[in-house]
Amino acid sequence: MRRTDGELIMLWALPAIAIIWVSAFVLFPGFLHPMSPTMSAEEVASFYRDETARIRYSMILFNWFGVGLIPTVILLAMQVRRMAHRTPIMSYCLIACAGGPPTLFLIANMFWLLGGFRPERAPELTQLLNDLAWVTFTVLVPYLIAQCLLLALAIYWDRQDKPVFPTWVAHFNLLIAIALVPAAFGALALNGPFAWDGVLSFWVKNIAIAVWIVVMGVVLGQTIRRRRAETAVAA
Amino acid sequence: MTTSTEGTSVSDTPPESRLGRFAWNCRHHPKRELWFAWWVMVVFYQLYGVLFFFVTRVQPPPSPAWDTPMIVQWFDDRHDGLLVGFGIVFLISGMCAPMNALLAYSMRRMSVSRIFAYSYLIMYSLSAIPGMLVMAIAMTVGALRPDRDPELIHWLYDFAFLSFSGTMGVFLVGSVVWLVAILLDKNNVFPKWFAYLGLCNALTEVVVAPAWIFQRGAFAWNGAIAWWINMVVFVTYTAVFIVLLRRMIEREDFGTGPLPDLPDKRESASAGSVGVLR
Repeated sequence: MRRTDGELIMLWALPAIAIIWVSAFVLFPGFLHPMSPTMSAEEVASFYRDETARIRYSMILFNWFGVGLIPTVILLAMQVRRMAHRTPIMSYCLIACAGGPPTLFLIANMFWLLGGFRPERAPELTQLLNDLAWVTFTVLVPYLIAQCLLLALAIYWDRQDKPVFPTWVAHFNLLIAIALVPAAFGALALNGPFAWDGVLSFWVKNIAIAVWIVVMGVVLGQTIRRRRAETAVAA
Repeated sequence: MTTSTEGTSVSDTPPESRLGRFAWNCRHHPKRELWFAWWVMVVFYQLYGVLFFFVTRVQPPPSPAWDTPMIVQWFDDRHDGLLVGFGIVFLISGMCAPMNALLAYSMRRMSVSRIFAYSYLIMYSLSAIPGMLVMAIAMTVGALRPDRDPELIHWLYDFAFLSFSGTMGVFLVGSVVWLVAILLDKNNVFPKWFAYLGLCNALTEVVVAPAWIFQRGAFAWNGAIAWWINMVVFVTYTAVFIVLLRRMIEREDFGTGPLPDLPDKRESASAGSVGVLR
């Protein structure tokens, strides 16, 4: 029997951290109207000069709590372990994915903070840091895509009377994976839906991530509660 | 190279048609997870070769000794290839996960501590970021604005190639973890000689260190030692472990003792119903 003490703390940390993420998202001056890749070096530099405080505080918040997604993915990996598979490969896959997105996000986060550290730097350098930050942030999807596809596959393969997750969770994960695909090509255009401030690369991607977090949080909560009820009855 | 192996006795039997049997294997084959991870690995390495050598054309690497105008020209020549190619890299690099999971599984199947499997899994999952994605990001940013200050493009060029060639420890220590597990293993998951090939691979990460120091010659990032010999060893090593992993999957009996040998077509009794969890 696997020990489950503390599982609920990890689960309930998610909504608390999610509130911090949303606050930091709103606080960062370049997200609600995402910064355009067509801004000139001068415009980018003056943005960092004018908004220094909000850039710093929002990115410090993200730096503190960006890794908060990892426990959720590990909770999912632990549920995958309970599935009717012959090997632990699918849960290994999720563990292999867990660290990727926060690490890439932290790299982007550092570039934003570096840009805000000396906003009086030559505009060309601020623009370079801003480009590195936005490109890293936009293309951080590979592990998220893999995570969704692998989870979907794990659920399809979980063929038992009482599957760990219902099948719609697998379909949902496929949908999210598709929604994340365009962001991988976010650097191909400076204008339009694929640009890093575009409908597909920014809004669809980030809303998909948010929806995934909410839905998978609720699904995990239900699964864990049901599981604990069964264990309590058995004990 | 097919996923259809005998010895499966799931409730319904595979249909006659090829396509039907393929679909059946995908859903019911007792080794479906292993074969899935193996195929992802094979496809990943094919794509990796095509993307790095033919689409982005960043390999074989250009010289670190070039002057700035040549480097700007190099980026201009590859503008679309870099952006499209690395876009695909961003799309597919999650394929590393099943690959590393399979390699970790090979260590779990050995008679060694779980420490090996988990250490390898975490190290190699981490390795893709400094060893591949940082290069992809730096190249993408370099290609993004051809009118950027040439000196900055030059810096992105160094950043890209040095992060790619100069990320050593994760591969070095990762290879060593795997080879130590192989040498200690009593389950015959891999032949012992493969451990020494792993040592060769680990040594390539040692001899590449001077790439951080030299801008020309055999030790530079495009040199005879730091690139050509290393590439030959890496390709050999990878090709060999792909074959050996395939053999491991074929021999897998889902037990904990030594892996049985292949040739005599043993009816592996273990291939019971898929609903059984170990």
